[in-house]
Amino acid sequence: MTRPLVLALALGSLLVTGCKKPEGRARPEASSTVSSASAAPSTTPPAPVHLAGDTERGRSLVEKFECSRCHDGTGVASAPLEKHCVTCHQDIWADKFKAKPDKIAKWKKTVVHYLNAPSFENAGERLEPAFVAAFVLRPHKLRPNMVSTMPRLRISEQEAADVAAYLTRGAKTAAEPPSGDATAGRQVLETKACGTCHAFSGVPDLPMKPTLSTPWQKGNDGIELAPDLRFTRDRTTFGKLWRWLEDPAKVKPGTLMPKLGLTEKEAKDAAAYLLGAKLEPLAKKPVPARLPVLERKVTFEDVDREVLQKTCRHCHTNPDIARGDGGPGMTGGFGFIPRKLDFSTYESTNGGLLDLKGERMSVFTKTKDGTPLLVAALLARQKEEAGEIDPEARGMPLGLPALTAEQVQIVESWVAQGRPQ
Amino acid sequence: MKKLGAVMMVAVSAFAAVGSVASDAKACGGEWVPAVEIDHRPEGIARAEKVLKKGEHAAAAAMIIRMMPHVKDLKAKKDGTLVARAQRILALSVARNNGALPIDKELPSYVQGTWIGKSDKDKATNLEWSVAALRKLNDIKKDDAAVQSDLAEALAKVEKHRGEAKAMLEKLAEKDLIATPEAYAALADLRSAAGDSEGQKLALKRCESMAKSANVCRASA
Repeated sequence: MTRPLVLALALGSLLVTGCKKPEGRARPEASSTVSSASAAPSTTPPAPVHLAGDTERGRSLVEKFECSRCHDGTGVASAPLEKHCVTCHQDIWADKFKAKPDKIAKWKKTVVHYLNAPSFENAGERLEPAFVAAFVLRPHKLRPNMVSTMPRLRISEQEAADVAAYLTRGAKTAAEPPSGDATAGRQVLETKACGTCHAFSGVPDLPMKPTLSTPWQKGNDGIELAPDLRFTRDRTTFGKLWRWLEDPAKVKPGTLMPKLGLTEKEAKDAAAYLLGAKLEPLAKKPVPARLPVLERKVTFEDVDREVLQKTCRHCHTNPDIARGDGGPGMTGGFGFIPRKLDFSTYESTNGGLLDLKGERMSVFTKTKDGTPLLVAALLARQKEEAGEIDPEARGMPLGLPALTAEQVQIVESWVAQGRPQ
Repeated sequence: MKKLGAVMMVAVSAFAAVGSVASDAKACGGEWVPAVEIDHRPEGIARAEKVLKKGEHAAAAAMIIRMMPHVKDLKAKKDGTLVARAQRILALSVARNNGALPIDKELPSYVQGTWIGKSDKDKATNLEWSVAALRKLNDIKKDDAAVQSDLAEALAKVEKHRGEAKAMLEKLAEKDLIATPEAYAALADLRSAAGDSEGQKLALKRCESMAKSANVCRASA
């Protein structure tokens, strides 16, 4: 794959704050230990962040965290092609990417992630800063039909509030008391077939259900970007919502949300339902059971084929042998310092990453419970998807679906077997 | 008349253009095809890297010398360039063959130079070049444990550098950063020479768990 700069296993960027040296004469060939990482304890869905944000600081943080690598409408220039999250993938599907047709055909079979990212155009007219801050701080699955999610950044609560203040700058704060008939609002959602694109978890099923086309086509974009309406009440207010429903393009030019031809009353009724419908609790996604280490020999070729090539190298590769700069997990990005973690060869994988002090450390260093760092990161991602944020490790692949239990088993078995070539 | 002149000019220009193409073309089955020079070295070096990984050091070295007979005199300025990659393959092949590459049947004598290591002096020259080439790569790619593992492996083959090799490998081993089984084999050898049999066993165990073939570790057992 070329450089469709995603945020896959930016493992190094994010994992660890420090490491403990093995005691005594213990040979590190036998063991080494790492302790704690950047903490971001949280629950899912996140509680809103009500800190006052500073728009000036927010702008510089938007630059630091490179939000424009994925999002339009940030007020900061878009990232160039080789650093952009979605442009390469979109070009592949539009047959515009400069590569041989057989490569394009091959990539189309696997490129289903990072095809869209929501724009922040006029975000203040649609979103509440407290929600934006909480989401940046503790991202969760907001758009059920989008493969990728917002990555978990190394960001403090105050920084998140600053970013949110900047992205929602100019927002009108005057609260408008909710009105409208929620029962009629449900009818509006059904009549206008909102379920064609949106899921609304926690309420009785809408008559239509979103269906993504395969192979990919432009019509999927709206479905991908459509948020689960369950979270509407966290994201916005009554006044913003009904105006949005009445004429989406007036609020956000170029939006894929269609104008549904709603009257003001219908828009207010729909808003009343969206914000007031009784929600059943979300079923928690189970954390996959950790599988035992395999007895058969697992080689680097197995790990490379099943895991590294598929995911990790998007962000952790050698810039000398691939397009781009090696990815954010190699040369830094999205607010992460360069960690120089390169999964392109057996040797470079064994060669480790830079810790936060700039010292090289092994990616197989054992965490407090004895789990190798790499495996801990993969397990942490599985937990993140279940709503459990592990303060010890940032889940990898960053912003992408967790590996399956079988994939983790392959990595763990390879490490346990002494990392055979 | 003016029109005829213009037509003539176009015709002359077209003829001149064809002529200039023809001068850069070759005859092939009665047709003219453009002569295109293809640099096969990127593919060749990638192949040599695979051959080296398989443990066929002499074959990998021969491929490099065949592609770049003057490789010894080239200067790698950046990691990842063809020169850097070629020199790494050759330097590791030399170190893993103790300074004497068995390539006399693979290469014509006029490119063999000292590579086959006929004399102790030639072997020493080759090993010193191997150390120097890997040292240069280590300078270019700072703080890369994989390059350091390669360099330490080569250093371990030269008596006067063995202390430096051991220090490097011990430091890498302490952090579990030794990148290759060959480097663990070198560490086992260095520990053995220092009378550290427990350490030798540990390093050998790591070598054996990493290596595709136990032969890689056997020399140090």
